[in-house]
Amino acid sequence: MSKRNIFIFKGLHIVAWIIFVGLCIDAGGLVVNFIFSLYKPEYVQNLYQKLDLSQMYNLNKWVYYGMYGFILAIAMLKATMFYAVIRLISKLNLSKPFSSYVADQITRISYYTLAIGLISNIARQIAKNLQQTGFEVDMLNQFWGDSQAYILMAAVIYVIATIFSRGVEIQNEIDLTV
Amino acid sequence: MSLNELSEKVELTLSNLSILKTGKAKAIRFTTLEAICNALDCQPGDILEYANDDDIRTMNR
Repeated sequence: MSKRNIFIFKGLHIVAWIIFVGLCIDAGGLVVNFIFSLYKPEYVQNLYQKLDLSQMYNLNKWVYYGMYGFILAIAMLKATMFYAVIRLISKLNLSKPFSSYVADQITRISYYTLAIGLISNIARQIAKNLQQTGFEVDMLNQFWGDSQAYILMAAVIYVIATIFSRGVEIQNEIDLTV
Repeated sequence: MSLNELSEKVELTLSNLSILKTGKAKAIRFTTLEAICNALDCQPGDILEYANDDDIRTMNR
C-alpha cells in the first residue's frame, strides 16, 4: 500500500470517528430530550437544538410521539451506520481487501443507508400531510431533507457490496488453487 | 514417500499439499500437476479421479 493511501485511510478513519461522535451526541441529546419531555411536557418547547414542537404536542400528543420516533430512529440509524463504517475502515486490509467480513460490512452499510432513506421518505410524506391539517412541521425538515440522496447512496453501496462479494468468491478460488 | 519429502520435491508448502490431499482445492495448476507427476513418476490419470458430488459427500462422512 502506498504512503498516500495509508495517509488517506488514516484521515478517513479520523473523520469517520469525528462524525460518529457527533452523531452519537446528536442521537443522545434527542433521546434525553424525549425522555425529559415524557415526564415534563414543558420541555417540548425547548428541545435539542432549539426545536420547538409545543404546537404539535398541544394539538395531538400521539402525533408528537410518532414524529419524534421518526427523528430518533433516523438519528440512531445514522450513528449505527457510521459505527459500521468505522469497523469497516479499521478492519480493511488494502493489500488483501476481498474478505467476507468486508463484503458483509459493506452490505450492512447499504441496508442501514436504505433504512435511513426509506424512514426519512416516509416521515417526510407524513409531515407533508400533517402540514395540510394545520401542524407546524417546517423545523422538522432538517431531519429528513436528504431522504432521496440516502436511497440513491444505498443503491450505489449495494452494487459495490455485490461486486465485493463476487471478488471474495474469486479470491477464495485463487486461494484454493494449488 | 512422506508428505514432507513430496513437498520438498515439488516445492509446494505442506498446507497446499494438505489442501490437495483433503480435496478442498478448487483448481490445480499444470505446473503443479507436472511437478507431482515428475516426483512420483506417474501420469495425471494415476493421481486424478472423477467423483460426482454425492460420492464426495459419502466419502467425507
